[in-house]
Amino acid sequence: MRQELHAEWTKLRTLAGTRRLLFVIIMLTVALSAVASAAVTCPTAGCDHDAAKLSLTGIQLGQAVVAMLAVLAISGEYSTGTIRTTLTAMPRRTTVLAAKAVILAGLTLAAGTVAVLASVLAGRLILPGNGFTPAHGHPLLSLADGPTLRAAAGSVLYLALIALLSLGVATAVRDSAVSIGLVLALLYFLPTVIYMISDPDWQRLLWQISPTNAGLAIQTTTHLSSLPLSPWAGLGVLAAWATAALLGGGLLLRLRDA
Amino acid sequence: MEATIEVAGLRKRFGQSMALDGMSFTVTPGRVTGFVGPNGAGKSTTMRVILGLDAADEGTALVGGRPYTSLRHPLNHVGALLDAGALQPSRTGRNHLLWLAHSQGLTARRVDEVIEQLGLESAARRKAGGYSLGMRQRLGIAAALLGDPPVLMLDEPFNGLDPEGVVWIRGFLRSLATQGRAVLVSSHLMSELEDTAGQIVVVGRGRVIADTSVADLIATASDGQVTLRTTARSEAMTVLAHDGATVAATDRDTLTVSGLAAERIVTLLSQNAVPFSEVAAHRATLEEAYLDLTRDAVEFRAGAEQEAAR
Repeated sequence: MRQELHAEWTKLRTLAGTRRLLFVIIMLTVALSAVASAAVTCPTAGCDHDAAKLSLTGIQLGQAVVAMLAVLAISGEYSTGTIRTTLTAMPRRTTVLAAKAVILAGLTLAAGTVAVLASVLAGRLILPGNGFTPAHGHPLLSLADGPTLRAAAGSVLYLALIALLSLGVATAVRDSAVSIGLVLALLYFLPTVIYMISDPDWQRLLWQISPTNAGLAIQTTTHLSSLPLSPWAGLGVLAAWATAALLGGGLLLRLRDA
Repeated sequence: MEATIEVAGLRKRFGQSMALDGMSFTVTPGRVTGFVGPNGAGKSTTMRVILGLDAADEGTALVGGRPYTSLRHPLNHVGALLDAGALQPSRTGRNHLLWLAHSQGLTARRVDEVIEQLGLESAARRKAGGYSLGMRQRLGIAAALLGDPPVLMLDEPFNGLDPEGVVWIRGFLRSLATQGRAVLVSSHLMSELEDTAGQIVVVGRGRVIADTSVADLIATASDGQVTLRTTARSEAMTVLAHDGATVAATDRDTLTVSGLAAERIVTLLSQNAVPFSEVAAHRATLEEAYLDLTRDAVEFRAGAEQEAAR
């Protein structure tokens, strides 16, 4: 697998789009996080806001770019025909997909870490000015605080899992536009549908299996008992989605003519 | 590793149509083997099956006695150029070769060697999307040579090249074969392989129609035919046909005669005072020999098209 990893790393590193998309992931995540932190105020003591979750709002935008990066990593090869060169040079197809997954996850973890640290820092700087003060029951945002650290580290993992989910979907679908459409529908349309459903049992069930709703539970630091799933169980739901997508994509990659 | 490609009894169906219908042939080292047939005869599909990209429904394809997908560093055994356009346009030519090299455990030094060998130094650091077709073909061949493989396989390498490029590839392929490599080159135009291929595998409708050396192929197609140059075409035709020959007009002043020996033709024309300027044993071109062989396949196709039009 070492040579597959080396080849896939060289491949992704030498595409101009990769660096640009990684930069956009960081910029959009931090920008939306900062805007969210600046838009919400806590005028009185005991205002009911989740400061950590608020400062990580940008993840919901950054994930779309992560999905694009991951989809293009494989569907870009199908649209140009490079996939045949890839599979001629490396006939062990599942190993190729695994190598792509490792490289993508690594890049996403790196970009995600930068984005999350900058978002938390922005929150730490902006929030106190909006009334999120110790006097109002909101100590300064800090990674030394267990739940905040879990929310921050979990958000980085969340982005990496979104990348793997998207890679799996794109490997199965092969077409860029269709793959991005499918992933974005899963990330944004499904939560909207859940919001519109009136039956509470259905709503709760769909929430529990939705990759975004369940996955973003990892950011919650207040009122944990009211969540349909615990934070780590929620991230586990997303991990299950990512695993299923990669397994399905890998199986199709093995079985189909290239 | 032995430098051979052995294809035996390949069958593959795409929906209704049989893409491969018992394709069998062997490519041996030390010469260029032309893989010729009309578009849709199964040439590219066969090459994809050899490389393990497509799976055949039946039959085997072995490279040096082993299935391609079992090779640890396949580019060190087989160099293939399937589609020179299959590049990510924003990557430079050198970086394209670099990731391929890394996939085989080769280093950047080898990349620079093949860049020099193919004369790509000036283009190597430019984006491949801006390459001309000829440069893409060169880059594709550079990729095929990365692992210095004993077997080479090129699909339609002449497509879209200017005459200079065609001459260059011909010479290059000959030199690769002279080094003792097995070289398989597909083309839908037999004339492109003139002076290049030593062996010809002619395919049509997914199977081999003929597998023969170029010398034998031309000899068979030329068999017993005589070219006659004369200004009195109709008189000559009458005289020769009267003696039992089959005569076909090939040009304004040339006839192709079969069924009569050259001496007999000279005697007949002299006796009847028919003027002529040249009588020579006919040497068929590779193209003619090929058309002879594939006539059935082409007729079948034309027939099918008429059916469809109805």
